[in-house]
Amino acid sequence: MNPVLNWRVLYPLLAALLLLAVWLSLALGPVSLPLADTLRALLNITGLNLTEVQAQTELIVSQIRLPRTLLGLMVGAVLALTGVAMQGLFRNPLADPGLIGVSSGAALGASLVIVGLSRWITLPVVLEPYVLSAAAFAGGLLVTALVYRLGRRDGQTQVATMLLAGIALTALSGAIIGLFTYLADDSTLRALTFWNLGSLNGASYSRLWPLLVVALGVVYWLPRRADALNAMLLGESEARHLGFDVERVKRELILCTALGVGAAVAAAGMIGFVGLVVPHLMRLLVGPDHRLLLPASALAGGALLLLADLAARLIVAPAEMPIGIVTALIGAPFFIYLLIRSRG
Amino acid sequence: MRLEPILAGLCTGLLLSTASLADELPQRWISAGGAATEWIVELGGQDRLVGVDTTSQHPETVTALPSVGYQRQLSAEGVLTLAPDLLLGTEEMGPPPVLIQLEKAGVRIERLSASSELNALEDNLLRLGALLGEPERAQLALEDFHRQLNDLQRQIKLASKTDQPPGVLLLLGVGGNSPLVAGRNTMADWLLRQAGARNLAEHEGYKNLAAEAMLALDADWLVLTDRQLRGVEGQQALMAQNPSLAASRAVREGHLLSIDPTLLVGGLGPGLPDALRQLSHAFYPRLQEHRAEASQ
Repeated sequence: MNPVLNWRVLYPLLAALLLLAVWLSLALGPVSLPLADTLRALLNITGLNLTEVQAQTELIVSQIRLPRTLLGLMVGAVLALTGVAMQGLFRNPLADPGLIGVSSGAALGASLVIVGLSRWITLPVVLEPYVLSAAAFAGGLLVTALVYRLGRRDGQTQVATMLLAGIALTALSGAIIGLFTYLADDSTLRALTFWNLGSLNGASYSRLWPLLVVALGVVYWLPRRADALNAMLLGESEARHLGFDVERVKRELILCTALGVGAAVAAAGMIGFVGLVVPHLMRLLVGPDHRLLLPASALAGGALLLLADLAARLIVAPAEMPIGIVTALIGAPFFIYLLIRSRG
Repeated sequence: MRLEPILAGLCTGLLLSTASLADELPQRWISAGGAATEWIVELGGQDRLVGVDTTSQHPETVTALPSVGYQRQLSAEGVLTLAPDLLLGTEEMGPPPVLIQLEKAGVRIERLSASSELNALEDNLLRLGALLGEPERAQLALEDFHRQLNDLQRQIKLASKTDQPPGVLLLLGVGGNSPLVAGRNTMADWLLRQAGARNLAEHEGYKNLAAEAMLALDADWLVLTDRQLRGVEGQQALMAQNPSLAASRAVREGHLLSIDPTLLVGGLGPGLPDALRQLSHAFYPRLQEHRAEASQ
């Protein structure tokens, strides 16, 4: 696969797209604000109270739109990066982060809390979102750890076995989630459904911190494994002969994906198709070299998720559509288009 | 002669104080709860509503208002576009971070109870009355509601001396071969008991019941929701798709009733006494005769 675009052209384009997406995400919303006011409100966040802005405007920009934009950026970038990592690890362009069980594990943790909170435990309402996030994160890590454990034999990680273990554990998680669904009453059922569709709604700074730490780690660390991922494309033994510690690389990629996707899902619920489609699209544009592919995917993932969220906010305003619906509605037909094109 | 200016002053003072009182009452309301919306309209607050959620379906006029989405998935900015003074909902309203953001933006948030208890209704109605500035009207509505339910209870008590309370099942969904049946601790269960029926389902909450198990319970009456029973044709289509339902004794005897599904969510609404009357009159054909007796 030859790159369509030189990276010297593509990177500035992607950076511009990302900046545009960030700007639109801050400037547009159900409440229409004059551009000048949005700018002033943003300037005020820096602490230089240069101009007076209406309290309402300031609140919308700094407390509602900005945390939401930051959340979208991080979730998009992390999902796209880990998507590249998984497609590289499994040497399969159809792989997505869900393959190692992290998404289904997170869903399992979340459904345990959503149903459990209504039946067995009572917590202060304010704490609920935090407990939900923590459980989703823990569930994702736990199931991934199990998948990894099952994929190991004689000190070696068998990628094929791990893939099957991932499928089996995903099915098992699905069954347990089904059991919770059966136990759930009407309102928890709705909560469960909405969680599974993902949303950036209600983002706040206090809930951004954990994701920020993980996202920075993933964004810093994954692009540094580009050479190893390139070598893995040739095959595991070839990579070993090239001097890479393949077992270690695999372990690190899986840990990184589990942490990243776990934190993203914990913060925003399940958002499908970003981790699958973005790396695919970027591979078409810059080619399979991970040194170019990883940063490009991070930029594009952040930008696309922000644009999808913008649509989610605006389409049915003053109500809001779950973002998972938007990403799947755009992502799935696009994926089908790619399939048809690559066949012809 | 000196009385006049004093009187005039007193009058203006009174006028001003009532005017300022009216100012303090929230004027732009968003209601995120089906029953709450119905009560607001019932108490004459329709013109204060600027938005409702998706569970607010009655009366028909409120469906023309902007929708803020599902009560658990409100959007902070979306709600703010309607510039509300008050966001009224039940304890199911959320998500919590959005409510915190709205509170910061100066929107007053009031949570009513969604429980199907008469105490909860009393509390809800009195709070609504105070918020609307119509405490007497709310008190009257509450008394009327209680009186209607008590009358019905007396009639049913008399009727059940001669007629056995019927065994009833309430089905929420009949898709496939295992209908979703309302069990204990549900709003539906409370409704059936209030209407003088025995709920034959003994499980907790709403559960799928195997077609055979449902037939074995041999209900005297089946209650379905409106949406499932749209006219005679709709009913025939439903029976054609669900032979096990068609084979039940209740259907063979034509003992099929329907209720509005919105009665089952969000607490007790003003349409409840009417719905209960319809159910109980079907369950006890001779209820009409006891009416005069009971009111004496």
